Amino acid sequence: MPNLLALADVTVTWYLLPLAAVISLVYSASRFELPEKILSRAARLFAQIVGTMAAVFAVLWYFSLGM
Amino acid sequence: MSAPSSVERRRPWEEKNTVVAGVLAFLIPGLGHFYQGRMFKGLIYFVCILGAYFGGMRLGEGAVVYQSPMGGNFKKVSLTFLGQSGVGLPSLIALYQMKRAEAPANRDLYELNEPISAPFQGRLIASGPAKEEGAGELVGQIELKTSRDGSLPETRGIFKGTKDGEPIELELSGGFKLDRPISGGFRRGVEAHVVHSPDQHPNEAWHIRGSIPRRFVDAFNAPPDPALVQDLHGRLGKFYDLAIAFTLIAGFLNVLAIWDAIEGPAYGWGDEPATAPSTPERNDQPAAAAVVAPSKAPQ
Repeated sequence: MPNLLALADVTVTWYLLPLAAVISLVYSASRFELPEKILSRAARLFAQIVGTMAAVFAVLWYFSLGM
Repeated sequence: MSAPSSVERRRPWEEKNTVVAGVLAFLIPGLGHFYQGRMFKGLIYFVCILGAYFGGMRLGEGAVVYQSPMGGNFKKVSLTFLGQSGVGLPSLIALYQMKRAEAPANRDLYELNEPISAPFQGRLIASGPAKEEGAGELVGQIELKTSRDGSLPETRGIFKGTKDGEPIELELSGGFKLDRPISGGFRRGVEAHVVHSPDQHPNEAWHIRGSIPRRFVDAFNAPPDPALVQDLHGRLGKFYDLAIAFTLIAGFLNVLAIWDAIEGPAYGWGDEPATAPSTPERNDQPAAAAVVAPSKAPQ
């Protein structure tokens, strides 16, 4: 059962990737007008969001070791 | 030939009526930008915002965006729905569905005016001596009809399909209940008793309980029954919360799109030279970026 729950958690986490992509694209589109600038800024923002989430995930995973 | 500077460039968000563009952007994400001829940005808003919105709707099995009947008291507007209504028309339909759902005619049915035939998913449930043995998952077709030949109307019918993968046919009579037509969720609950056969134990009783498809126009953004919401929380868990988050974020993101349709991009075109802290020389010669985005520098 714990394994199933862990699997469910991972699946929920995957759903955050399209959400991060949507937020990055829409936010960048509202900041700039040029398509290439929108896309490059969105890619950078997406990487920042995912990187931050991964860092938080890693910290939480580290502290939950052995629990 | 060099690219035009920001000063010389067209500003498409100022060439059309900004009020119309703002209203269109609110009603359908991206529509205001299409109206202004800003196809690329319109496409981003349309695909991303509506994608997040309908993705959330699908994740939450259609019972995510709704406003429960308020009885005329607008203080009962849910904050979740307020956030989701940023998406515009797709969410505002919920107010119309709320009116339809609270109409007195919209109630659970215990008899049918017209026969129904629909795909059924559910369970065969037993009570009495055979409680565990014969129960199972049912998938198939259900046909039901109410006859008014006797003193009381009686709903009879048949289920044809499979029980746990094995073919089965069940005769149904009595104990009929069909959930109200207009309600949240794309499935409509139905239950009926299975006819007692002579070789069964006298105390043995069977009934089927499950769901048939609900019409899209009756389910879309209609307020669900509390039991359905509870069921979704139980079955979907975090995914139901995630579904609400998707639709809420879609609503919030469209506020940015509306703002962009009215005022233009917040930082300008995006190819302006980075502005340094103001110096006497720069004050003499206004930078191109400053014309487009007077208060903010592109990052």
